[in-house]
Amino acid sequence: MISERLKAAILKELKLDDYEFTDETAASQVPGWDSLNHINVILAVEKEYKIRFKNIEILRLRNIGELQDLINSKIQNAH
Amino acid sequence: MPIDFNKLIALFAYDQYDPLLFSSAFFMFLFFFILIIYRITSPVRILRVLVLIAFSFYFYYKSSGLYFLLLVLASIINYSSALGIFNSKRVKRRIIFISAVAVNLLILGYFKYTDFFISLVNNFRTDELQLIDVFLPIGISFYTFKAISYLVDVYWEVLEPERNFLDLTLYISFFGNILAGPIDRASAFLPQVKREYFLSKRQFSTAVLLIISGLIKKVVIADYISINFVDRVFDFPTRFSGVENLLAVYGYSLQIYCDFSGYTDMAIGVSLLLGYHLMENFNFPYKATSIADFWRRWHISLSSWLADYLFRPLQMKFRDLRLYGNIIALLITFLLCGLWHGASWTFIFWGFLHGFYMAFSLLTAKPRNLIIEKTGLRGTKALTIIQGVITFQLVSFAWIFFRAPSFEYAGDMLNQIFTFFHPEIFTQFIGGYPSVIMLMILGYLLHFIPKSLELKTINFLENRNIIVHAVILAVFIWIAAQVKTSEIQPFLYFQF
Repeated sequence: MISERLKAAILKELKLDDYEFTDETAASQVPGWDSLNHINVILAVEKEYKIRFKNIEILRLRNIGELQDLINSKIQNAH
Repeated sequence: MPIDFNKLIALFAYDQYDPLLFSSAFFMFLFFFILIIYRITSPVRILRVLVLIAFSFYFYYKSSGLYFLLLVLASIINYSSALGIFNSKRVKRRIIFISAVAVNLLILGYFKYTDFFISLVNNFRTDELQLIDVFLPIGISFYTFKAISYLVDVYWEVLEPERNFLDLTLYISFFGNILAGPIDRASAFLPQVKREYFLSKRQFSTAVLLIISGLIKKVVIADYISINFVDRVFDFPTRFSGVENLLAVYGYSLQIYCDFSGYTDMAIGVSLLLGYHLMENFNFPYKATSIADFWRRWHISLSSWLADYLFRPLQMKFRDLRLYGNIIALLITFLLCGLWHGASWTFIFWGFLHGFYMAFSLLTAKPRNLIIEKTGLRGTKALTIIQGVITFQLVSFAWIFFRAPSFEYAGDMLNQIFTFFHPEIFTQFIGGYPSVIMLMILGYLLHFIPKSLELKTINFLENRNIIVHAVILAVFIWIAAQVKTSEIQPFLYFQF
């Protein structure tokens, strides 16, 4: 499940009104989320959750579901 | 007439200058038999795989001799290191990964870049080192990149390592994509090795159409305009007027597209007949409306490789620099993309130009968008055409450095175009080279063939029996043979 918080952060960065994200949604399917803009989306997510991903953690992500899982594990570890 | 067995043997033997090009009659002849053997052996998995490995080794041997052993070496190294990465933890895992990638790159570097580096070093020495003149085995850049993508995927844990050594050997050595790509990913290729052989009538028709269209693009269009026009101008630019030089540049843009995408079409078609679906490599690149769009349509298997394994890691490393992080990553990626194409400064400069275009477009995105809004062009057909034309000019300009033997030649061409244009020669040119002009127009029109026509042709072929297919194929091979000048032009891309 994609949380409202993650969804809002991504939509805001991409300047989209709405988009139906599923766990399997890949970045390339989302309007405006191209390989160049990827840098901004990742920074926006890191800023939103005040976390820092390792490079390899981001590189192996295949879809938004995996991004959500990664965020969840980061937040849990922080507590 | 008695058969001259020596000649027959020579036909099969190693000859550096006579690779098994898909467009040659000899390949078609051999492939016909391989296809029959493959169909007979296909129910037994191990036999099926062995037949393909054996033919792939032969295919490599034909133009690179004993260097086909490099494929065995690459298979052993990458098979064992991927398992090593998978079974190790932390530092050891990292060490195995880095050394395996380094070994792949060192082998590539030795064969492809030794002389380039020696001449670099010579610039700083008074006593010159001798160049070694290393033999360049075919397709080494292509299979090395396949191997590296496999290692990285295993290291990133997005792919399980292959446990069957023969399957991995086939992935590395597969003749269908070894000469000039596509650079297929292990994650898409390996499952196909395990799958039973199956070819529907529709797939068969698609394969036949791909082989035919590849033949037309490669032999009829690319080879013809290169021999009869483009090469002459690029070899002696100062003997021609500016208008001829300019047409030669546009001719080369078309030639390299038809040559490379035609060859890929044949590769995909030939592989499909064996039940293998290779990845798409071209998608009407000259319809692109930006340089970024161009790279999503041109040599897609390479551009996506570079995007996944070079650009994105660099981009993430420099992500705190935001826009500038992107720019640094772009410039490094495209400089290396240039170097991958060949060990020369002209290729590096070609790569730099593309990196520069992309960086420039990122830096000017805001003002450009503002202009588009103000002029009311947003979403119009006119904008698509303007952007398409500009993109094509930028890409064609960069091709000059890709094709020219040296910077001096490129400079001469530009000099002719800008100071010695003589537009009046254009009409003479049309009279002098009617077939070149016709083929160039035809070639560019290929970009605008509607998808529906392609589907209709496949439907048509699907409803015909194998005899009709054979006749159609034979007719096109005959046409290609008629157009072909006495010798087949070597494929442009396999020297990279």
